[in-house]
Amino acid sequence: MLPLAASDASLFSPEFLPRLPQRLVEMILTNLGAAESLVSIAGFLAAAGTVLAVFLSAFALLSLIERKILARAQNRIGPNRAGWFGILQPVADGIKMLTKEDIVPAKAERLLHLLAPILIVLPSILALGVIPYGREWTPLPLELGLLFFFAVGSMTELAIFIAGWASGSKFPMLGAMRAISQMVSYELPLMICALGVIMVSGTLSLPRIVECQGGFHLGFIPAWNLFTPWGLVAGLLFYICSIAEANRCPFDLPEGESEIVAGHMTEYSGFKYALFFMGEYLGLFAISGLGITLFLGGWQAPLPGLDFVPSWIWFFGKLALVIFSFLWIRATYPRVRIDQLMRFAWLCMIPMSLLTLPAAAIWHFTGRGALSWVVTVPLLAVPWIITAMIFNRRLSPATRHYHFAE
Amino acid sequence: MIPLLILSPLILLAALGAVWMARPVHAALLLALSLALNAVLYLVMGADFIGLVQFMVYVGAVAVLIVFSLLITRPGDEAEELRRRPGALLPGVACTLPVLAMVLFTVSKTAILETGNAPSISMESLGKTLFTSHAPAVLALAVLLTAVMIGAALLARGAHASGLPRSASCETKTADETGSEPPIS
Repeated sequence: MLPLAASDASLFSPEFLPRLPQRLVEMILTNLGAAESLVSIAGFLAAAGTVLAVFLSAFALLSLIERKILARAQNRIGPNRAGWFGILQPVADGIKMLTKEDIVPAKAERLLHLLAPILIVLPSILALGVIPYGREWTPLPLELGLLFFFAVGSMTELAIFIAGWASGSKFPMLGAMRAISQMVSYELPLMICALGVIMVSGTLSLPRIVECQGGFHLGFIPAWNLFTPWGLVAGLLFYICSIAEANRCPFDLPEGESEIVAGHMTEYSGFKYALFFMGEYLGLFAISGLGITLFLGGWQAPLPGLDFVPSWIWFFGKLALVIFSFLWIRATYPRVRIDQLMRFAWLCMIPMSLLTLPAAAIWHFTGRGALSWVVTVPLLAVPWIITAMIFNRRLSPATRHYHFAE
Repeated sequence: MIPLLILSPLILLAALGAVWMARPVHAALLLALSLALNAVLYLVMGADFIGLVQFMVYVGAVAVLIVFSLLITRPGDEAEELRRRPGALLPGVACTLPVLAMVLFTVSKTAILETGNAPSISMESLGKTLFTSHAPAVLALAVLLTAVMIGAALLARGAHASGLPRSASCETKTADETGSEPPIS
């Protein structure tokens, strides 16, 4: 935490803007003569409140923007009745969700049925806390930030299982089974891709990983991990895995509307359903934020000489671009089949992500220069091309065996 | 000391619940709760790395594995089985007693650290120790896990090659037959 000074001139500079609530709370409490522990706790609460406020409004906005963009992609207009350009649509949705009847099925386990939506939202919010949004803005600067992110993220699978099981009906159970098998399969390459970054940066602290990506190659190429051979491969794999982890199209089988209604959310209505929705979007923000931190240089500016723009604007600009690419993919690709999904995870994603580890090690020990490029590019490109050829020729699309539906 | 006094009864209660609950899913969830509370205990004691890894491995992987294996296996009535064959208790007792004895022996031999005496270890030094002086243990574990993975792949391949259905769909069938019960009870 930065030292607290009432006469700090930089307090109102744009770089510190997101930390203003925390600092104001701390200043006011200090001047009131509160105990130091109370001041720091209140400061942390204010910082957490800032993050929550930012991302809950981003969630509301995204729910509108997503529908608008999907509508444009499908040659429609999209929501345009509530307010100018449909800007009040999230408010209307919120009122609708809150005033709906809360239905609990007769066969449901009441306590677990209530617990599941809470457990889904909790890890997403916790994970948002450790991401460095700006040079001066990391709500929770932990030494083990990356580990914390994955540890709380691993709670989601259990929460989805609870949601599916406690509903006491078939579609939620099937959806939960699909979701868990998908998330377990894609969590592995996700973590392995992050491992390469840890190896090269030599730290688990997310702010320091971003600092390691500062500077420029040849004066204009940013020294982000994405612009290294292993980083490019790991970044692409991470991107695909994060789509699967966020249960988004084309990997949205757990809630495939045409097959199992809404998966684990089938038996939920009203505010609990809204919580699931919120958890999903906050999780999307968190995993995109982690990807940006690991591979896209976090809050670093994309070109030299742009440092006068507050760093958190760069972060949120990148976040907007990544989220837009998710929406674009959702509007473009059809849903994959479960066997294609699993095959892709175990036969392509995991071997390729494992390969980025030796590549990252070689990159690190050959001095990160021209020699490293010469060695690591063929090491990654040759297996990549071979895997792509095998997948195109023999493995996809696999024939499907119907065992119980002849 | 106070967090320990609050947490340890909770951990014990959750663990006892995991043993006594009649429905296996409840037992699995309570086991996950007790493991998660253990992670909290580590975090409170300042062992951040162990705490987070405990959470990631036991709550994120082991608990999920347990509930997943509950889903794809057919539920049997273990209590009924035990009543019919009381001899089945013997191996359980035979396994539990030595473990309990070992735990009690180790605890009685361990010197209890004074409060405030806890060593603070940075992640970097922990990693260095793990991969230098403890490297053989890490390597042995790696070999073991690789062998397990190859074995699992071989098993999966064998099931596939012999024409067995790869997904167990028996539980949906039983649910259809009984009509009312959810697949796992």
